[in-house]
Amino acid sequence: MDWNGPVSKAIVSLACAVMIAPVVAAEPISADQQAFFEAKIRPVLIKECYGCHSNKAGNVRGGLRLDTKQLTLLGGSSGPAVVPGSPEDSLLYTAMLHEDFEMPPRRRLAGDVIADFQRWIEMGAPDPRETQMAEIRATISGADIQQAKETFWAYQHPQDHSAPKVSHESWSRTKTDRFILAKLEAEGLKPAGDADAHHILRRLCFDLVGLPPTPAQLIFFTEQFQQNPDQAISVVVDRLLESKYFGERWGRHWMDVARYAESTGREVNMTYPHAWRYRDYVIDAFNADKPFDRFVQEQIAGDLLPANSDQKWSENLIATTFLAMGPKNVNEQNRVQFSADLIDEQIDATTRVFLGMSVACARCHDHKFDAIPQADYYAMAGIFGSMTTYFGNPPSEFGSFSSAQARRSSSLLLVPVEDPNPYDKSYTGSELTELRSEITDLISQLANLRRNRQQSSGQNAARDRLRITNQIAQASAKLAVVDESGNPRTYCMGVQETQTPGDARLLVRGEIDQPAQRIDRGFPQVLCDHSPRFETDSSGRLELARWIGSNENSLTARVMVNRIWQHLIGQGLVRSTENFGVTGQSPSHPDLLDHLAVRFVESGWSVKTIVKEIATSRVYRVASEYDESSHHQDPDNAWLWRAHPRRLDAEAIRDAILSISGEVDHERPRGSEVAKAGYVRVRDGFLGDPRELAQRAMEQARAEMQGDMRQRFAGGQNGQRGSFGGRPGSSGGRPGARGRFNPRGQGRAGQAAGFDRSTAQARMAETMQRISNQYTNQLNMEDAKFRSVYLPMVRDQEPRSLVVFDLADTSAVTGTRESSNTANQALYMMNNRFVIDSSDSFARRLIREHSANGERIEAAFELTYGRKPTRGERSAAIGFIKKFQSQGGSGQQTLSALCQSLFASAEFRYID
Amino acid sequence: MYSRRDLLQSMSAGFGYLAFAGLSSTLSRSARAVDAAAGSGNPLMPRIPHFPARAKRVIFLCMQGGPSHVDTFDYKPQLVKDHGKQGKYGGSLLKSPWEFRQRGESGLWISELFPEVARHADDLCLIRSMQCDQPVHPGAMTQMHTGTAQFIRPSLGAWALYGLGTENDSLPGFISLSPPAGSSRNFGSSFLPAIYGGTKVGRSGMRAAARFQNRGAGESVPDIANAKLSEGQQRSQLDLIQSLNREKLRRDKYQPGVEGVIESYELAFRMQDAMPELMDLSGESESTLALYGADQGPAQSFGKQCLLARRFVEAGVRFVEITHGNWDQHANLANDHEARATACDQPIAGLLQDLKQRDLLKDTLVIWGGEFGRTPAAQNGDGRNHNNRGYTTWMAGGGVKGGYSYGATDEHGYESVEQKCHIHDWHATILHLLGLDHERLTYRYAGRDFRLTDVHGTVASEILA
Repeated sequence: MDWNGPVSKAIVSLACAVMIAPVVAAEPISADQQAFFEAKIRPVLIKECYGCHSNKAGNVRGGLRLDTKQLTLLGGSSGPAVVPGSPEDSLLYTAMLHEDFEMPPRRRLAGDVIADFQRWIEMGAPDPRETQMAEIRATISGADIQQAKETFWAYQHPQDHSAPKVSHESWSRTKTDRFILAKLEAEGLKPAGDADAHHILRRLCFDLVGLPPTPAQLIFFTEQFQQNPDQAISVVVDRLLESKYFGERWGRHWMDVARYAESTGREVNMTYPHAWRYRDYVIDAFNADKPFDRFVQEQIAGDLLPANSDQKWSENLIATTFLAMGPKNVNEQNRVQFSADLIDEQIDATTRVFLGMSVACARCHDHKFDAIPQADYYAMAGIFGSMTTYFGNPPSEFGSFSSAQARRSSSLLLVPVEDPNPYDKSYTGSELTELRSEITDLISQLANLRRNRQQSSGQNAARDRLRITNQIAQASAKLAVVDESGNPRTYCMGVQETQTPGDARLLVRGEIDQPAQRIDRGFPQVLCDHSPRFETDSSGRLELARWIGSNENSLTARVMVNRIWQHLIGQGLVRSTENFGVTGQSPSHPDLLDHLAVRFVESGWSVKTIVKEIATSRVYRVASEYDESSHHQDPDNAWLWRAHPRRLDAEAIRDAILSISGEVDHERPRGSEVAKAGYVRVRDGFLGDPRELAQRAMEQARAEMQGDMRQRFAGGQNGQRGSFGGRPGSSGGRPGARGRFNPRGQGRAGQAAGFDRSTAQARMAETMQRISNQYTNQLNMEDAKFRSVYLPMVRDQEPRSLVVFDLADTSAVTGTRESSNTANQALYMMNNRFVIDSSDSFARRLIREHSANGERIEAAFELTYGRKPTRGERSAAIGFIKKFQSQGGSGQQTLSALCQSLFASAEFRYID
Repeated sequence: MYSRRDLLQSMSAGFGYLAFAGLSSTLSRSARAVDAAAGSGNPLMPRIPHFPARAKRVIFLCMQGGPSHVDTFDYKPQLVKDHGKQGKYGGSLLKSPWEFRQRGESGLWISELFPEVARHADDLCLIRSMQCDQPVHPGAMTQMHTGTAQFIRPSLGAWALYGLGTENDSLPGFISLSPPAGSSRNFGSSFLPAIYGGTKVGRSGMRAAARFQNRGAGESVPDIANAKLSEGQQRSQLDLIQSLNREKLRRDKYQPGVEGVIESYELAFRMQDAMPELMDLSGESESTLALYGADQGPAQSFGKQCLLARRFVEAGVRFVEITHGNWDQHANLANDHEARATACDQPIAGLLQDLKQRDLLKDTLVIWGGEFGRTPAAQNGDGRNHNNRGYTTWMAGGGVKGGYSYGATDEHGYESVEQKCHIHDWHATILHLLGLDHERLTYRYAGRDFRLTDVHGTVASEILA
């Protein structure tokens, strides 16, 4: 490979400006020039500029560093600081003249100093502060790469092997089974027998749609299973695959690897109010069984794929949200660093999510283990550097404003097909006028402040500036999302090509101020049969998408079928699901992995086909029964002599509780809580400024209470009117809660006839509490009844109900979740309001549906465990009821406590 | 090396696991070495460190915002002399508004911002040559906690817990008291098992937010109390849950997951008692509260947290962090730095004294420091800008030399020039004091072994007592 790319490519993209700095031949500088520089230039740079523009001082305003010759020529976010020979094109010089920038701020350098700089630039800006542009030689040679290609399993294309011979032919249901059985026989292990019908049904329901089986389904399936197990399973699998819940389950699996979230995360956590469109896109794709190759291509280059309708085009654009929604440090001071980190995150996500390979390791040096030279990373950096990422908020007619903390912002993409979210705000003419005049006013206030900077005292002026800047940003964000007449526009996150693509420079140790040679754009060599060819003027991203979303590489199909296997069987054939490299695990059943991969491609990349293939196999239905001798031989169950007992994941636990309590709402909510809040900074768990929200809550409370008073005096003494009165379902206070403020309990006082002081106070307290819950609960959404996949996913503020059960880290590509059992979970199950309220609903449901206590107990077990209670369980339950009632529990309270115990128990959260 | 009490404690902590594995090899299992592969048994069981530990526990007083070293612990007479002159990187040099004096027998120079802490000068080990790579708050805070700002990595406390386990089975092993919002990465476990992550206790100091939180008045850990059931009722409920769990375990024969569930309920039930009790300061005497400044006045809030920290470490928590924020004085240094210091001076002094009188200071490492220091040159007249090239942190107790000063910055305090202590060196030193070799404390993730110090870090062995 030619390490020296063409050097003549035009510079257009700001995003990749750092990587395509012009190469200046290191001309020797004369003694006179050196003397001039030392006498006239260097002292001024040190004194006047380094304070804000130097790596060494640690301050890099505007991305500009003047430390060395190269960095000076490279310039900052506004362009090169010095263009040798051309003072008028040199920002350093024009800023001194206070033309576009004012440098130094608020002060003009002496005329002779400015003249010195003019002269210096005219003479070609001779600069002894030379750093050698390094030429980095790879430690990984072409031969190394070739050898890896030829020898390492993951780099060879999958072949469909013929099914191996086995002794017990009749055991197998699918070809998959023969691969499993052959290994078991070779190891001398005997597979467990089939699991009970109820276990199998529970597996199928949770695995395919993330919900527990209903008692009716249980009866139906058990009957069918007795007659013809294969057919019974096949029928149920088909029905579950057709259900819209399938996409909600499998879409969430995808969102784990795609690090789906609705905010930037990190210290300045700005929302992504339009990320939910990607969530819905993913769910719909899985429901429609969108060919996976196409699904991959859309996410990497949907903006470049042909589309025959606006609808399709919209979908393609939304798919590229994948590249835009990673975690970001928008507080980053250095624009160049931000851009490099953004590209790095995109490379990392793309390669690990689709290829199960970690190219981002090569950002700083050649990959230590895999045959991925550093140049491969920068070959991809060129591709991703040739696009603009849209993740912020569009500019308003007044321009682009961002708050002082969200230094790095960007616009959004307009979706070709209008699809406003019901939350989207529209404005009347007068509201628009008001908003505009507010902004105009703020802008002039800010200008005044700037003008009077000299007079006003430091601290207050700075504080005011900050406040007004933030206010402008906030108002502008409101205005930006509507058209001229105040109607909402439809936006999405995503990417677009820059006009002219460019190659990236390799960075020594990945450091942005250490650029070395330019690298041709390309793909990881070890995965390519031949170097890719790009259309003229193409960045190569479309080609990359088509190559990744295909069987031209050896990994995409394998990585995906391995994930499907993991979700159904409990452990991947390759256990390191995102690392198919040398340091990953090698497959336990390589031939099976290949078989499934080939089958996946042949099926037209149909995820549902592979799910069905695995779910109808024998290995899927074996029992999880423990066997001591098999366990001694194969403690990790790598050969699958039994089914892995698995803990349900967070969403399945919450959805099952909702479903069993009869409270679940299966309608897909439009948008999300985050969309409702718009583009704001998340603070202290609030979508927006906590102080402002507190104020708003107080106003709301005041208004409600005034309304209530009026109503009360006008409409008599009916305490159940209006928004007060005990909500059905809210239950009494804790006996002996040591005087702890418990407005939910006191809310019942609404039934009292009079309107004395204490009831008034109780009402007030309840209103306050309800309104406060509304705000504090915004991100936990303990009262929401829809499925968990629709809960707000704000980075670092994910809903407790999910985090507590090992929700995937929203900032990382997560193919395999943790499965812990912690005290925190126990506290949640014992004390959390959602669990307690749901148990109450569950108890009410049992009372509604069954009259005798015995029946209620039976039904409670059937609903939670998917089976009838054992004799021991039944008597434990009856014993508990007696004991609990003797401790003062009413009938319904006791039943509710029993229901909660079942939710809390191990069996509920395990699939056996 | 392990006392009988230690052993008994660790046995009870891991009892469920031991019961399962058979009690034959209690010693090796209950106090297993750090290098032994994690994953089997109780991950929080106390572990034998790489070498004898000087400190058994840590209290980290995290001064968010960047307290000025040249106004607190780094005396710069030349800065006083050159006041008003042009600084090295522009701006005019600003002498400290506070007087420095020599303190204690050691004669350490400490400013009048910390009169109470200064009384403990002979216990302090000042590190006056700190450096980190990040010039802005978020990055520097993250690097101080995890070693890097570029990636998401486990926190110092998580590494300590991973290396040493914990000594109280009723409490979390790593507690972060009132961390600032959005800082969960700073006490997170990242790729280490989640159990090593810090447990957030209390809320950050935003009053507006606190106004909302009346549901949780006095609540310290999420869902720590039940709003409906009496204790007796809840115990009955728990007995039912556990009998269902045990029956399942009996049926399943071998099921570490179910075993874990059973353990988790017992710990949770104990935590319900232990946490609120431990956090209930109503039984503390007035003199104790006064010692910490927790009785009244501006130091009340931080004083309570320092007292809580002492109670936690005394109860066996391995790592406690307390954050004291808002040291970021780009302007108004004289007023605001004074206010910040006043709010923490007495509490810190009280903490040191209390630890000493309880004989805990000898093996408790107290660490004080911000994410960086501030420039010697003025900003906005009476403020200072960030300075990550040279600043001061200090340690006390747990195996460090008292009354000792390590390293130095240049004449004005811009840059570390002697015995530079990069944040990686600082981390290596802290781990060393805990008996952990920063090069051996590794965790395999995504195919490679990770360390807190990455490929850097040198133990500042001169500061070891």
